[in-house]
Amino acid sequence: MQWKTIFVKEMLEDWRNFKWIWVPLVFILIAIMDPLTTYYMPKILDAVGGLPDGTVFEIPDVSPVAAMMMSLSEMSMFGVVVIVAITMGVIAGERRSGVAELVLVKPVSYLTYITSKWAEKLVLVWISFIIGMFASWYYVNLLFGEISFSAFLQVLFFYGLWLSLVVTITIFFNTLFKVPGLVLFVTIATIIMMSIINQVFSHVLIWFPNNMSSHIGGMLDGNHVSGDLWGTAFVTIEVIILLIIASLFSFRGKEMAN
Amino acid sequence: MELLGIDLAIIAPLLIIEAILAIVAIIAWFKTDETNGPKWLWLLLIIFISIIGPILFFIIGRRQN
Repeated sequence: MQWKTIFVKEMLEDWRNFKWIWVPLVFILIAIMDPLTTYYMPKILDAVGGLPDGTVFEIPDVSPVAAMMMSLSEMSMFGVVVIVAITMGVIAGERRSGVAELVLVKPVSYLTYITSKWAEKLVLVWISFIIGMFASWYYVNLLFGEISFSAFLQVLFFYGLWLSLVVTITIFFNTLFKVPGLVLFVTIATIIMMSIINQVFSHVLIWFPNNMSSHIGGMLDGNHVSGDLWGTAFVTIEVIILLIIASLFSFRGKEMAN
Repeated sequence: MELLGIDLAIIAPLLIIEAILAIVAIIAWFKTDETNGPKWLWLLLIIFISIIGPILFFIIGRRQN
């Protein structure tokens, strides 16, 4: 009951902030930008000009799988930044302005407060991501070749888990820091650290969450879901659950007002 | 319809999304009383810097209270 109230209030706030309009639009742009520019690269080079006559460019053919992976790699850069930016103030901002105090003075548990906000952001991110990837899937099928719907659904599910982890990390740092800008900075730094760790130890940490997109690439190439992809998915879900519990404890220990 | 050899039907959705983004940002700009930095500057950013301008305005432009 209370859970639903905070959830709905959060939805309404995002609607009034126009987040429900601009976040899906931006995700569409992020998803289709790279496949489109790749497809039109020869024509763009022609139009821009400046190349000496007779220059020959060998532009390799891009497979549908490679085109879809382009969308995912853009998602893991700009998509992640947008997600962190829309989540950075969700608790930190309310603690700073004192709204969190007003809410928590009522019999609302910390668990309710954190998970309802977390769930609302997940809904926003998942819907935006699904809309964006649908646009990408449409263009990939139109311009590069076919990717089956079932493979597409698998991409959505597994990559969505990674984005959910990003939301959860941001929520966790929201309970640690009171300044949204600091939350943004620390979260991005953490994700960059994770990807460095992943690059260095990828042969040992096969199920590390950052490996998700490379396993997804393997899944699209080989047309079946490997055990490693499931392993990565389980690790990601576990980390999400642990982070939620951790944010509960860190939030409990914090004084609300300064 | 073709422009520079690029089929307009294919990139039309891109342009439409850009336009919607800018229009929504302008509506939000009108509704905001206080912005971080001069308000008129944000209008210029939204109109002249496509995609990035509106996104920046949504994320850091408005002063949230």
